[in-house]
Amino acid sequence: MSQSATIALLGQPNSGKSTLFNALTGLRQHVGNWPGKTVEKKEGSFSHAGKEYLVADLPGSYSLSANSDEEVITRDYIASGKADVVCILADSSQLQRSLYMLADFAGIDAPCFLLLNMADVAKDQGKQIDAEAIEQKLGIPVIPFSATDTKAYGGFYEALDRALTKKARLNVEALSGQYDSVKGFREICSLIPEGAIAGYSPMWIAVKVIENDKVVLDRLRNAVDAETFGRIEQAKKDAQSAVETGGCKFAWIDEVLGSAVTKESKKVSLGRLDRIYTSRVWGKAAVIFTVLFGLIASFIPALPLMGVGSVILMAKAPVGNALTSIGCPEVITLIVTDVIIQSFSYIFKMLGFVFGVTLVFGLLEEVGIMARISYVFDNTMGKLGLQGKSVMPFLVSFGCTMGGAAGARVIDNWGQKVLTIALAWAVPCGAAWATIPMLSSIFFGPGAIVVITAILFTMLLHMWVTAKIFGSRLVKKEERYGMIMELPPYHKPRWRALFGYVMGRTKETFIRVTKVVLMVCGLFWILSYSPSGGNGGILYRIGVAIEPVTKFFGMPWQLFLSYVASAVGKEGAIGVISALYNGGSYGAAFTQAMSGGGTAANLSEILLANVSRPEALAFIFAMTFNMPCVVALAATYQETHSAKWTARIVLYYTVVSLLLAFAAYHIGLLIW
Amino acid sequence: MEELLTLLGDGHARTIEHLAMELDTSIEDVERKIEFLEHAGRIRRVVFCRGGCNGCSGCSTKGSDGVMCKGCMPENGFQNMGVMWEVCKA
Ligand SMILES: Nc1nc2c(ncn2[C@@H]2O[C@H](COP(=O)(O)OP(=O)(O)O)[C@@H](O)[C@H]2O)c(=O)[nH]1
Repeated sequence: MSQSATIALLGQPNSGKSTLFNALTGLRQHVGNWPGKTVEKKEGSFSHAGKEYLVADLPGSYSLSANSDEEVITRDYIASGKADVVCILADSSQLQRSLYMLADFAGIDAPCFLLLNMADVAKDQGKQIDAEAIEQKLGIPVIPFSATDTKAYGGFYEALDRALTKKARLNVEALSGQYDSVKGFREICSLIPEGAIAGYSPMWIAVKVIENDKVVLDRLRNAVDAETFGRIEQAKKDAQSAVETGGCKFAWIDEVLGSAVTKESKKVSLGRLDRIYTSRVWGKAAVIFTVLFGLIASFIPALPLMGVGSVILMAKAPVGNALTSIGCPEVITLIVTDVIIQSFSYIFKMLGFVFGVTLVFGLLEEVGIMARISYVFDNTMGKLGLQGKSVMPFLVSFGCTMGGAAGARVIDNWGQKVLTIALAWAVPCGAAWATIPMLSSIFFGPGAIVVITAILFTMLLHMWVTAKIFGSRLVKKEERYGMIMELPPYHKPRWRALFGYVMGRTKETFIRVTKVVLMVCGLFWILSYSPSGGNGGILYRIGVAIEPVTKFFGMPWQLFLSYVASAVGKEGAIGVISALYNGGSYGAAFTQAMSGGGTAANLSEILLANVSRPEALAFIFAMTFNMPCVVALAATYQETHSAKWTARIVLYYTVVSLLLAFAAYHIGLLIW
Repeated sequence: MEELLTLLGDGHARTIEHLAMELDTSIEDVERKIEFLEHAGRIRRVVFCRGGCNGCSGCSTKGSDGVMCKGCMPENGFQNMGVMWEVCKA
């Protein structure tokens, strides 16, 4: 071979460098490391038209700053002159953005040419790019290109050849003109002698000084005399920053692209839904309405599974009779019917709602509405003394309080983090959203909707009050920092994935709930079981003893114990109810209910006969706003690292839940 | 780009569309500026720990994340929540 040339490939990640590199070199490549660094070095070779070429694939990075080893290696390699030509790749489908690399390269002394890669993608987008117009402005060969279309590399070889023969240099006049507007640029630039750092122009160095590039500053210190360096440093102090020089680069890109890129540009406008959801006036109302509507809608998919729950319950009498007839001991029969069948009936009813809620809210997330919620409540977070990102832990808490506590990690301010967790406790978790609708529908029928609405608004009020109470101690009045949100576009749900997710979650819930409910139910059943059939059982005696106190909060002792159990996990409450309101023999009212229907008595009826509606309401509120569960408690301690605050939060929630029960009971008494 | 930061200085959240409208520019322009500001360390992407993110960077308690109860917090929940950036404290 007569001649050879080295080509360096420069481009941001995903600009298509590897594709081009592989297409050019095929198997003739090897991978090593850059001297002294762990950065990968890819080199290869090819021959074309009787000429041998070496190709160096430079590490991809956003720009040529000193932010990473990659970027420093890349720029030093180019400036060293080891490459005869630099092939710069930009993404045609987003030129405004991807030409940033070219803008940051401008000022490094090396022949180069520009590939507007992904030309096919740009074409599909309806963009027309006038490469010649860009070439005129840049002074280097510029061609539209598709790295993946390996049969159409003619333009590439032609541009490569032109760049090599002409030693084409990038025209940086216009860019320099842009930099002139940056305060301090001219002064610094004039202080830097030509060739102070080999391969870099004074303009490029001056810009990096303004951008506070440590590597460049160190080299400059050695390159110029101390006095000059002092003056540069002085000028740097008064100069503007990387934001302004970055702005110049973008302005230059826009100038270069000018009318070279045509696409019917549409004016930015919000979609109809976003005009409502992201409205400062209507957003909150729209979101609350959506959530409420979602909760109500959850009843519809819940119905079939609830039906299964009822069917299971119907098996109680026949199974009980069958077991008795084959001479099974009474205890076993009772365990099977009262503990197992009873619990599974509840479990399936709960699963119905888990399924419904997961489906409806999964759908809201899929179509993109959930993401809007975090936007809408940003400002509210500020009023609570929190940063906008606290919304996320709250949303996660609708699924799992523990997830909410873990999610609060993103908040770096400790006080705000603790406050976020404390407020997240007020958000009823997935298990609560399974038990609340189930109990409400037993006691209030269609009125369950009103109960759910009341719960939702109580939650908001609770969070507000809690923020006021704890806020003053935890968060100082602090400046708020703005936020940018990229909201996912609205799109049609992918039903398959959604159902997979919903079924997965329902299954996991089934497993967990079954464990907890059966365990708790079994335990309480044993404690309340009395072989004599009378008013025996330890629990009964304890219960009757504490009842005067529990009645004050509107709860009979059975419900109060159930409330206590809900601190372990909300589904634990159902286990207790299942154990205490079934076949065992407690007070006279119960025996009466039993005498009619025997073991087949409908559980809902037993509950209705034994528990008044105000009592039920009191219990639902107490349980919902009780501490979420022991695991959430542990997570809270782990995240806050404060036993004191964890204890405070627990105590606070216990007191508030009982107060809410008291209030709900008395409001209930007024109604019924 | 200063206008963008100045705008955010009021502490409010904005969507990319809102920013584009307020700055009278295109979505693409706002997006590239966000990318730039993120690289320049002026804004920061907010990365949330979901359950099961074992030892992801930014988690204060590494390794103990896998214990999230799956029934409550399914692994593939909260995926379509968009992206958030916050302005870094000066
Ligand atoms: N449609 C299209 N895709 C391309 C083109 N060039 C590269 N790609 C694709 O873009 C992705 C990123 O390319 P890659 O070469 O890995 O980029 P690198 O990160 O710069 O090395 C890959 O999936 C390529 O197949 C092109 O000209 N047209």
